[in-house]
Amino acid sequence: MSIQIKEVSKTFGSFNALNDINIDIKTGELVALLGPSGSGKTSLLRIIAGLEEADNGVILFGEEDMTHIRTTERKVGFVFQHYALFKHMTVSDNVAYGLKVRPKKERPSKKEIEAKVNELLELVKLDAFADRYPSQLSGGQRQRVALARALAVEPKVLLLDEPFGALDAKVRKELRRWLRRLHDNFHITSIFVTHDQEEALDVADRIVVMNEGKIEQIGSPEEVYDHPNSPFVYDFLGNVNLFQGRLQNGKLLYGNVEIDAPGFESAENQQAVGYVRPHDVTIDREDTSNEAVQAKVVHVHAVGRSVHIELKREDTDQFLEAELTRERYRELELKVGEDVFVKPNQLRVFIPEDYSI
Amino acid sequence: MAKNWRFKKHSILPGFGLSLGFTMLYVSLLVLLPLSMIFINTSSMGWADFWATVTEPRVVASYKLSFGAAFAAACINVIFGVLIAWVLVRYSFPGKRVIDGLVDLPFALPTAVAGIALTTLYTENGWIGQFLSFKVAFTSIGITIALTFIGLPFVVRMVQPVLQNLDQEMEEASAILGANRIQTFFRVIIPEILPATLTGFALAFARALGEYGSVVFIAGNMPMKTEITPLIIMTKLEQYDYAGATAIAAVMLIISFVLLLLINGIQWWTNRKFVHN
Repeated sequence: MSIQIKEVSKTFGSFNALNDINIDIKTGELVALLGPSGSGKTSLLRIIAGLEEADNGVILFGEEDMTHIRTTERKVGFVFQHYALFKHMTVSDNVAYGLKVRPKKERPSKKEIEAKVNELLELVKLDAFADRYPSQLSGGQRQRVALARALAVEPKVLLLDEPFGALDAKVRKELRRWLRRLHDNFHITSIFVTHDQEEALDVADRIVVMNEGKIEQIGSPEEVYDHPNSPFVYDFLGNVNLFQGRLQNGKLLYGNVEIDAPGFESAENQQAVGYVRPHDVTIDREDTSNEAVQAKVVHVHAVGRSVHIELKREDTDQFLEAELTRERYRELELKVGEDVFVKPNQLRVFIPEDYSI
Repeated sequence: MAKNWRFKKHSILPGFGLSLGFTMLYVSLLVLLPLSMIFINTSSMGWADFWATVTEPRVVASYKLSFGAAFAAACINVIFGVLIAWVLVRYSFPGKRVIDGLVDLPFALPTAVAGIALTTLYTENGWIGQFLSFKVAFTSIGITIALTFIGLPFVVRMVQPVLQNLDQEMEEASAILGANRIQTFFRVIIPEILPATLTGFALAFARALGEYGSVVFIAGNMPMKTEITPLIIMTKLEQYDYAGATAIAAVMLIISFVLLLLINGIQWWTNRKFVHN
């Protein structure tokens, strides 16, 4: 089922939690709401679930206006960060809950409920734990129970609020792969909230980057990672190097070097910041282009497929980060303390909004 | 396994021997010794005498009244105590702190004062009594009201912290899964607060059984009708019948003990789901 969020706003007292939010989510999509804490992502999810009421705006499921429909009748699945399992019920009772509380006419028979519960527990690989209580399970297992419980009512929409936030790194990775597979098999329209950019990039079809109650950018993981449209998105998704300088004649001057800044030909003597990803940085022993800054190698982190190098600029004492392939690293024979030249290959220039001179 | 049995687990704080020893001594001196005196005193009378004393119709009627009224009062306190705790935890309103403080007052008030106050209110021409078509003061209803009054804080104070720590997300989860409000209340909230409520019930019940001061005024103390067991004990003491008094006390003690054991059993049974390993 598709979800449309139209002009949704929400304030808590004087705090503007959400500001004119518009998102269209297609049927079967897996969308991540990504942002730092306080960005309004959880509020938005809770408004979609009906746990919170928006001050303005409309929520549509398919063609149906859900804005004033109660949570109980929205028929969504919701997974909480801290599981919110019923502590006094066994795993299978937890999963069966949504079916057992249905009015008599719609309620499946005991046998059907039991079959459904078994099927779901098998799906989450917890069939051996059916008679345990939540307190006897690990965090990852509890979250799987919570997922099975949410899926038991066959929701058209699945909402997950930082579902893996409370789990340790390895379990988290496993579970998010598993969520992706689950989604690929069932095609439930899903929205999950996260502050972990890696998680969002790894799992989602589309990412909605939020900041301070506003949407910064909506796009596929590649789009938001490779073509961020704001300094915030650049900063929030992945590591980034900043080159602070001045715009002049279509070039960004930083330190004692300058580089082309396309799109800013008319800017005259304006403060600006160039953003570049660590893997878009070239390290050379000699300066051939006049676009490189001199820097000292501070630390080499050579675990994994690529080599991360930390450098310190000679002129401004700023730290830079570079990511090289192993081959390039061997070729350069870099050592800590050496002086090298660092050149950004692809510089995205933004003029800071709150900069006044 | 038996060989590995140890009294204490490894702990960074010392003092196991000392604190356990002190606890044993304290409990023995303050609880066990006085209680055993009851049985020792009772044993000074013969078996036949004992049986005659404790099964005397007037005494049996008082057992029924005492346990019945205490049970009824504890039940009323469970319902309204949970309600008060709910309101105090879930809602904010002007004067909330005052009400929160008032809950403890029955603890602090000398029980005789409570008894006199309640009697004045509920007599036939009292402030409340004049509007009622049935008699309250000097009947078992009056006794129940007095016992409810002195037992109120127990349930409230037991349930309040549990409600405070109740994860509201559980209620939200229940609502999202399609449960209506009544279902959420009875299937999710009640089971969570049940152990604390039972503890509150047991405390209120136990307190009401032993209550004397506030009841004697409102009860009227008519033999066979509104005479509670503690009063009979008092009467016997006034007549220097120490053995008779302790005999009745012993019976009361045993019944109370069995009942509290039973409540504890139920509690253990409901708690078993929450505490594992």
